[in-house]
Order: sequence, then structure tokens, then C-alpha cells
Amino acid sequence: MRKRFLLSLVGALLLSSLLLAGCNSGKSSEGSGKVTLTFGTSQSGIPRTGIMQTMAKEYEQETGVKIDFQVVPDAQWRDLIKVKLASGEAPDIFNVDVDPLSMPANVRPEENAIDLTNEEFTGRMSEEILPTVSYKEKVYGVSFAPSKIWYVYYNKRIFEELGIQPPTSYAEFKAISQKIKDKDIIPFYQAPASGWYQVLPLFETGPNYEQATPGTYEKLNNNEMKVADLTQLKTVIEQLKEFADLGYFGKDFLSNTVEAGIEAFGQEKAAMLLRVPGTEKEVSEAYPDMKDNMGFFVMPWGDNQTIGVNPGGSAAMFGNKNSKHPEEVLKFFRWITEHDHLQRVFDGGEGNLTICWPEIEPKLTQDYIDYEKNHEKGTVMQAAVKYIDPQWMDIGKDLSGMFAGAMTPDQILQNIDKRRAEQAKVLKDDAWQ
Amino acid sequence: MNVNKIYPWYFSSGAIVLYLLFIVAPALLGIYYSFTDWNSYSSEKNFIGLEHFRTILAGDPTYLLFIKNTVLFTLITSIAKTVLGLFLALLLVSGVKAANLHRMIIFSPQVLSFLIVGLVFKSLLDPNNGFVNVTLRSLGLDVLAQNWLGSLTWAMPSIMAVDTWKGMGYIMVLFIAGLLAIPRDYYEAASIDGAGFWQKLFRITIPMLMPTITIATVLNITYGLRVFDAVYVLTNGGPGNATDVINTAVYSSFAKGYWGIGSALSTILFVIMAIISFFIIRLMNRKVEY
Repeated sequence: MRKRFLLSLVGALLLSSLLLAGCNSGKSSEGSGKVTLTFGTSQSGIPRTGIMQTMAKEYEQETGVKIDFQVVPDAQWRDLIKVKLASGEAPDIFNVDVDPLSMPANVRPEENAIDLTNEEFTGRMSEEILPTVSYKEKVYGVSFAPSKIWYVYYNKRIFEELGIQPPTSYAEFKAISQKIKDKDIIPFYQAPASGWYQVLPLFETGPNYEQATPGTYEKLNNNEMKVADLTQLKTVIEQLKEFADLGYFGKDFLSNTVEAGIEAFGQEKAAMLLRVPGTEKEVSEAYPDMKDNMGFFVMPWGDNQTIGVNPGGSAAMFGNKNSKHPEEVLKFFRWITEHDHLQRVFDGGEGNLTICWPEIEPKLTQDYIDYEKNHEKGTVMQAAVKYIDPQWMDIGKDLSGMFAGAMTPDQILQNIDKRRAEQAKVLKDDAWQ
Repeated sequence: MNVNKIYPWYFSSGAIVLYLLFIVAPALLGIYYSFTDWNSYSSEKNFIGLEHFRTILAGDPTYLLFIKNTVLFTLITSIAKTVLGLFLALLLVSGVKAANLHRMIIFSPQVLSFLIVGLVFKSLLDPNNGFVNVTLRSLGLDVLAQNWLGSLTWAMPSIMAVDTWKGMGYIMVLFIAGLLAIPRDYYEAASIDGAGFWQKLFRITIPMLMPTITIATVLNITYGLRVFDAVYVLTNGGPGNATDVINTAVYSSFAKGYWGIGSALSTILFVIMAIISFFIIRLMNRKVEY
């Protein structure tokens, strides 16, 4: 009796173990033998138009390999993919927002990503993007992203009616904002509720700091100076606070979201907002009256007149090194990066004017080309200084706190340094030891 | 071995295995991780002792703010839900018309996800076009219109109010059940002795409701300490960190890939809840005699 009982108990335990083991198996292949590749991405990691999904269906018809997209909201993906990579359950293909500084830490490519160095297509990606998807001279990611530039877009009609010109200094920026406010129009659309938008002026104007004091980025990276010592950055933060206090962001702007910015700008409730090239198309499609009514200029906080360029900052695809189907992953990368397919991704996207493949003709208008010719360019701070990008949302919260009156610019700078030190410690950065 | 002693274990063995695997093991692992530097940037997990706990409790005032906010939220919403729930229950058992309909309406927010409730209230409390401020302005009460979720003064009270609105219906239902269980004889005898409303309330109703009040308090406190969704949806902890609570800080730590310190925060929350639960259970075990 007792022996029978013990045998039954062991049997029950074994059955439980087998059931649990079964839960974790066969995650990417189907019983029929047909290969299914899982593709995990944030919402903004692939075009909202659905062009990638459409092309994946064609790929399935051609090859029999199905791509199963798992699209996760942006705010959750950054965390989710870290957990999935750590637990060994990442999709066969995964998208991660990349920049040359944080990609190695976020992806840990040597452990998690398929080496693409010797693939033919890596040689065709732009040289600007390669550092953002590379680590220790090996290429791990494939990107379609354009180099990102944030300009201040303005309503030409409002500017003409008020007889004002795009500003070239902070003083001019303030003066025109007052004139716009006097006409009961919100001078500048700000969106703290989205968490990240208000941070842009701080670090997109980074090239200005570097130009004023060459070597700043290097000193920050070597922990030879603190962010708190960056007086120009403090000036920008103080100017943002001044804009808020003077009402140039509108009343009760703390609840504004980025998504509502197009509406406010398109309906001429706000005269200026920060956006990337291609905005004209998005705005004029929703508000046809705005067609040919939009101009742009470089953000003039801190008297900045340099165009800040972020070579990465957007999503790149990685093949999961631990995938059961690495060859199929590579085949898909080779297929999607064929010239015609790249062109389709570009044409079928939301309206980006460039793509990081030189063989694809950009759609930049003459205005942009001329503007870039007449202004100096530099790399934005978050793409050149360590431990800035990973704390972007924290800085956004601090800035919201400052707008609400809970924090001072000095406290924000100290917090940035504190969080940099925390991350440097986690990553065992020699410069912080 | 006595078969009668073995059989209960035999039949529950499967459930015990699952319980150990999915409840006990993760909890113990979580506590273990709180003593490590586990993070998303490295596959190593080094034992670092109490360092995270020192950072949270002594090294960084921000964490103390999160603990303070959590305790404040728990205290105020627990009292508000209990008082309002009791008030509504007394009202609905006192013979008010269409009591069942009112009960259903007041209870209905309880069945909604906080995601929905949060989005609705974000819209209602929008400082520019929200129903609340638009109504106040249309009544000429501009001075009362506030940036409900965006100001340091009003953000936390607004979250507490929304949470109380959502949760008081459930507490009300508990109290209704408790009130209906009180024998009417007590009230009749009290009436004959000339007792008024307040005397009946404080001498009969509340003492007889003590077991229900205790249960409601336990539920309110454990919910309050675990609060996350209300804060996350309505303000995401802002402005600044003004409305951040322990669980939003845990989420934020995990989001940054600092899993060790996130686990330490969870462990602290676990300890706070265990201590409070211990005292409440002791309170519940005390017999109330009349």
C-alpha cells in the first residue's frame, strides 16, 4: 500500500514537471513543420501603415516562412524585451531602439544577437547608422531609421500677420513668443504628459555645448566633469522654466500629450511645436489649410544655432542568437534589405524623408537641403554622452516637477549626475570606479 | 504509517507542487534577488547584502517620499472608503426608494478596470477641456477650476478621490450585508428605552458592525499599500515624483533594468504589509461581546 502510494506521489510530481516543461517548448515552430518566426517590436518600431506586415505576408507566400508580429505598446516594450532577453525567451527577431552608447548594454549583443558582420546588406547601410548597431567591430542590427533632427515648426500665416521672423537667439525667441501670446495663441506647444517631449531641448542642443567648450562630451564620458557643471545646459533648463512661467507653453500645459500637438498646431491654437522632418505631410493631411503654411528653424534655447543630429535613436532589428531558426532569420533580413523591398518600406512608411540606406533616394525638399547647408551640424548629447538616453523619462519627470514648482534646475542637474553614477556603477564603468 | 494521515497529503500533492513552484518559490527568489545587484545589463548576480535596503531607507530621500505617499494614500483612502461606504449603506438600508438601483449604480465602478476609470477621469479632470473645469467655469466658479492632475497641490488628492469613488461601492455592499445581519430586536428594545438615532448608531450599529469594519479595513489597507494602477494611469507619478508610490517605484526600477533594487522595494512593501496584516489579524481574533 505504502509503496503504491509513494509510486503514485512520484508519478504526480513527474507529471507536473512534464506539464511545466511542455509549457516552454515549441514556441516558434508549428506542428506541421512550417517555420514561424516571432517578431517582437514596440508600436513605433515598425511603420504604423502596416507595410512591414504586408510585406511579411508576401514573404510567407514566397518562402513558406511565416512572420508572427508581436506588437507591444512603446512604453512597455523597452522593459519587456530586457526581461525576455534575460530569461532567454526573446522573439526570433526583436526591435530595440538603438544608439551607439546604450545598445550594447540594452541588447548585450554577444550573448543575444546574431552576428551580421559578413552579410552583404551591412555594407549597404549608411556609415552613420552602423555604429549604433555595432559592438566591438561586429554588426548586429538592421535599421531603416533616418538620422533624426528635431526642428521647431512654425505657422507662417501667424508669423506673417504678426510681422515676426524665425528667431536666431533666445531673446528673439522670447520676444516673438510674447507677441504670439498677446494674440491669445499658445506660442509653443509643450507636452509634459507624454514624459519625454520636454527633454528634447536639453540634449538636442548638445552640439552647442560642445562647440562652446570643445571636449565637453569626452570629459563627461570620462567622468572628468559633472553634468551639473554644464552651465549652458542649466541655462536651457532655466529658459524652459521661464517659458512655462511666462505662459508661453499655454495655461495648464502639464496635461498636454505629444499626440494632441498636431491638432493644436493644425487648428492654429499653437504657433510652434517641435517635430521631425516630414511633419508637413502629417499636418497637412489632417488639416489641409496648413499646406504650405509651415516653416521650421533650429531650436534657439541657449542661443543655439547648430542642428542637432541623432544618427540612431530609432528601432533596429536584431536576430535572436538563441533562436531555433537562425538561418531563416538571416534569410528574412536578406530579403527585406533587397533594394526594391527597402524602397517599399520607405515609400510605404509614415512620411520619413530619409532612410539609412544611401541607395534609396531621400525625399528632402530644397528647404531642408538649403537649411542644412547654411547651418553647422553636430551630434546630439544623448547619442554622444553616456548614461543620458537611459534616464530620458526620469529627466522628463524632473522637468514636469520643475514646471509644477517642485524642483529647481540645480536639483535636476544633480539628479542627472546621480542617475549617471548609478548606471555607471551597474555597468562597472572604469571612469566611475 | 497511518493511511488516514497520508491521504490528505496524497490528494493535495499536485496543488502543493504548483503552490510551491508558482507562489512560494518566486516570493523567496524575489527576496533573494533583493540582496543582489541583479540587473538587465549583466548576466551576473552578485550578493551585495543590505546595500539596496540602505539606499532605500537611508541613502535616497526620494524612496522615503514614495513610502510616505503610499502610507498617506492608504490611510486617507481607507478612512474615506470606510466612512462613505458606511454612510451609503446606512442610507440604503433605511428605506430609501429604489435602493437596489442605487446600490447597483454605486457598486458599478468596482467592476470597471482602473484603466478605463483612469482614462475617463483623465478626460473629466483635463484642466482645459475637462468636464469638471468646464462646468465650474460655466457656473462662474473659475477660481475653483484647477489643474487637478498636474499640480503639486491637487494631484494626490485627485487620485485619492477617484480611487475612493471607485472603491466605496464595494465597501458599501459589505456594510449592507453586515447591517442586515444585525437583529432588529436590539433597535426595537433601544427605541422602547428612548434611544435616538445617534445612540443607536454608536451603541448598537457600529459595535455590531465591528467584524465587518475590520474586514473592510483589512481590504482597504492591503489595497492601498498595493496601489499602482490608479497612480500610473492618472499621473504616472507626476508632476515630478509628487504622486509616486512604492509600486510605481518598483515598476520604474524594473523598467530601468535595476531588478535588484526593484526586488528590495517589493520586499519592503511585503514586510510593511506583513506587519500590518499581523496586527489586523490579532485585532480580528479579539472577540467582541455585547
